[in-house]
Amino acid sequence: MTSLFDRIASLFSSKPKLKPAELQAAFRSHYKEFRSLLTANNNALELMAEMEQALSVGKSFGMAFIRGNCTALSVNIYKMIQHLNRLADGRYAGLDQPFRAITRQLEQIIASRPATTEGAAILSMAEVDAGMVDQVGEKMANLGEVRNRVGLRTPDGFVMTAVAVRHFTQVNDLQVEINRRLKGLDLDNLEELYTVSAGIQGLISNAPLPEDLEEAILAHYQQLATDAESELLVALRSSAIGEDSSNVSFAGQYRTQLNVSREFVGQAYKEIVAGKYKSQAIVYRQQRGFRHQDVHMCVGCLRMVDAAISGVLYSRAPDDPRSSFVMIQAAPGLAGNVVDGSAATEQLRVSRTVPYDILDRQFGAGREGGGGASLLRLSAAQAAELAEVGVRLEEHFGAPQDIEWSIDQAGLLYILQSRPLGRPVPGEPPVLIAHSPAADELSDLPAPLFAGGVCVSRGVGCGPVFMVRSSLDLLRFPKGAVLVVETPYPDWASLLDRAAAVISETGQVAAHLATVAREFGVPAIFGMKQALTALENHHLVTVDATAGKVYGGRVEPLLALAPPKPNLMAGSPVYKILREAMEYITPLNLTDPTSPFFRSDSCQTLHDLTRFCHEKAVVEMFNFGERYGFDDKAAKQLVVDAPSQWWVIDLDDGFRQDFDPESRYVDLGHIVSVPMLAIWQGMTAFPWAGPPPVSLRGFGSIIFQSTRNTNLDPAVRSSLVAKNYFLISKNFCNLSVRLGYHFALVEANLGEFLTENYVSFQFKGGAADENRRLLRIRLISDILNEFGFRVEQKADAMTARIEKNTSLFLQERLKILGYLIIHTRQIDMVMGDEGMVAQYQQKIMADLHTLLQTGEGGMT
Amino acid sequence: MTTDLKILLIDDEFDFVETTCKRLMRRGYSARIALTCAEGLTIIESAWPDIVVLDVMLPDRDGMDCLKEIKGKWPTLPVILLTGHASMQTGLYGIDCGASDYCLKPIDLETLVEKIVIAHRESRQQGA
Repeated sequence: MTSLFDRIASLFSSKPKLKPAELQAAFRSHYKEFRSLLTANNNALELMAEMEQALSVGKSFGMAFIRGNCTALSVNIYKMIQHLNRLADGRYAGLDQPFRAITRQLEQIIASRPATTEGAAILSMAEVDAGMVDQVGEKMANLGEVRNRVGLRTPDGFVMTAVAVRHFTQVNDLQVEINRRLKGLDLDNLEELYTVSAGIQGLISNAPLPEDLEEAILAHYQQLATDAESELLVALRSSAIGEDSSNVSFAGQYRTQLNVSREFVGQAYKEIVAGKYKSQAIVYRQQRGFRHQDVHMCVGCLRMVDAAISGVLYSRAPDDPRSSFVMIQAAPGLAGNVVDGSAATEQLRVSRTVPYDILDRQFGAGREGGGGASLLRLSAAQAAELAEVGVRLEEHFGAPQDIEWSIDQAGLLYILQSRPLGRPVPGEPPVLIAHSPAADELSDLPAPLFAGGVCVSRGVGCGPVFMVRSSLDLLRFPKGAVLVVETPYPDWASLLDRAAAVISETGQVAAHLATVAREFGVPAIFGMKQALTALENHHLVTVDATAGKVYGGRVEPLLALAPPKPNLMAGSPVYKILREAMEYITPLNLTDPTSPFFRSDSCQTLHDLTRFCHEKAVVEMFNFGERYGFDDKAAKQLVVDAPSQWWVIDLDDGFRQDFDPESRYVDLGHIVSVPMLAIWQGMTAFPWAGPPPVSLRGFGSIIFQSTRNTNLDPAVRSSLVAKNYFLISKNFCNLSVRLGYHFALVEANLGEFLTENYVSFQFKGGAADENRRLLRIRLISDILNEFGFRVEQKADAMTARIEKNTSLFLQERLKILGYLIIHTRQIDMVMGDEGMVAQYQQKIMADLHTLLQTGEGGMT
Repeated sequence: MTTDLKILLIDDEFDFVETTCKRLMRRGYSARIALTCAEGLTIIESAWPDIVVLDVMLPDRDGMDCLKEIKGKWPTLPVILLTGHASMQTGLYGIDCGASDYCLKPIDLETLVEKIVIAHRESRQQGA
């Protein structure tokens, strides 16, 4: 395989020659194929970057994103292959085979589905255990486990399984219509989201239950009622498959209906099934990568407990998995009062060891006020019983538990639900954001606006205040604002991916909104009494939830302590599918065009294919000259005051019209290639300081002396000197530079459409040992990163790219690259010296800022 | 930017195609709508459009069939496929059948316009 540089050398051998006009025409048609290939290449690389970003930054995406991007990607690469083959008269037909093989793999990955569930439509709670998650959903499977394996008291009842809901959906042919309505739904458009959500829920609630299913439900209901109360009341609880797992908690996302009588069981069932499409559930699934049709809504139907007192029990403190006490939240009546944050509650810390002493007891304010006035208190015996249950369940399930419970009028304890205590990030230690001791030592903090409340989710966030009082406010909530509310209603949860922090006047750590805030890593303070009156909309505040303080303005030292947001998608089914697909997309195996393995049959990924096609297309553009008898004169020596060591080949319209094609030289003034002129400006803006002050004997430094060095005779070709070529047109420039021991390639297209615009940079090699070469590449990477390039590094090779920006913006980037090509050569030699590195970095950044300020376009 | 392009949109999703048409015209392009393949073919027959944007799902005919007929009779007329359901197979098959590009809904107008102008420009080149 011949490399680009070998091709360049062979340009000058003697071949039959075309007339200049013929050559120009033939060249032009080739150039147009080349240009189309570059546009497809640009699209493909951008799509890959978008997919990589989805994996790394935790932006939410669904299957439609994966399917859409894979399709667009393969179409663009297919087009590249076709353009290359037209450019090379079909000599790369061999690319078809690896391309087909890769796309077939991708199709299989995208088509993969979770295994379907089988079994009965209705199961009694007496038959259910944790192994039946795929039939009854996580919540009911756990409850069955508590009842049948742990041996604790749970309400009698039964479960309408995944088979039941699938039957209901199929008979009414609902899924097609649901998918149609969800298609292309913009999650950021809250108004559209609520409309679509309400429409789908209506569709489901109004569909008739299949007769056989309705009969079976009523028959099971009747069995529960054998004890012949006047009227049996049941609670219907959602138990979606996929909810409440140790990785992902859909806490409270779905409906629970209490006190349902016989005549309403069927309707209540459908409404809970419809709850799968509540707006926050749609957002939640999308963010976490669940496909809607893969989530099956099972429903538990449980005998109502006539509760005297109910609450939530954490087997450990939610923010400390090693705490030596359990935490209990209790309120009179039903458990829902605690979870939705509306009731006045008492909070107890109870020792985890016999005799389960109460360590302390606090009263919290609920929406209905009252606070400490509550008369109904948990007795010491009840507290001890709960603590013991908490420890038992934690031991059984092997992780701290979040338990809902009720004690009935007869004093009997019922467990209503047990699930793993929310972990903030799947795969990460279950400890919430560590309270950095540094935060306490920060001395120069301003005085807070106010302090107090309970930290329900640690961390620091900053943004403008936005108070939400109604669903109308909900629609107007701006991204990045601090959510301020009176009561932490579960409905506000759909705002959490947009909120910088949450402040609520009431509520406590068990509220659903608190659970979701912890999962999203959104700092939150509840029970901050004066929040609504003391704050004003749109005022910028910094919320230090960890310390329970709110500051005016932006407090940088505190924000510096804030941890990065967790990636909510990690570990989800859709995330896994994307990650699997990416194995056939982004890894780059073909990095070295001079390697004997740089062949079409070595392409293992779509990235390899783009790289191969691009490299070969550039070679073809040279090759063209070889095949058709490229005139020696096609490569013009650039003249700036005097002949330089740079050569220019015009592909199309890169020279002024009045340029004499017979000339051996081209004056800088004759060049109209926008990208080339930008690079040149960067190359020549500052004189090169010369080789760094280390011994460079034997490194051929002579060729580096200056871009304007006129002493080099172009006729003399030493083995060290490969010529440096600009391939240009008005909008395009491809510059290959081999300066001594390093190789750099800059390519850019600056046209009228953003779709076509890009700047790319490849850099490889150096004379110093590997460690220093890597340090230099890191230095260059850092600088390019700072100017918005996307940088990838593999061993001592680096590629940087930026695309779909305006011509002006990209010209600035080209100036930077021009500067770096000249001024970073040989600094690998001094990379061992940290002081020197810092010094170089400072000088480079200072130069670059001067360079960009003197240019016509301002930096953004 | 060239704004004298005549763009034919063949798509049965009326709301989408109507707003797209209006917005294209507001930018100075000429645009027309066909809700079926047959309707589209009649307009192409009159030699009106410079470029066609074709939905893959049509009420009267399979979009790919429609594409094949257009490219069979008017091989130099560029056709961009636009669809709400991505499929790698139909995407590649579409390119094989001569489509210039394959885009997914939802698409913002800016992107669509660029794709239209670029596809049109590329189709001119091959003839030249």
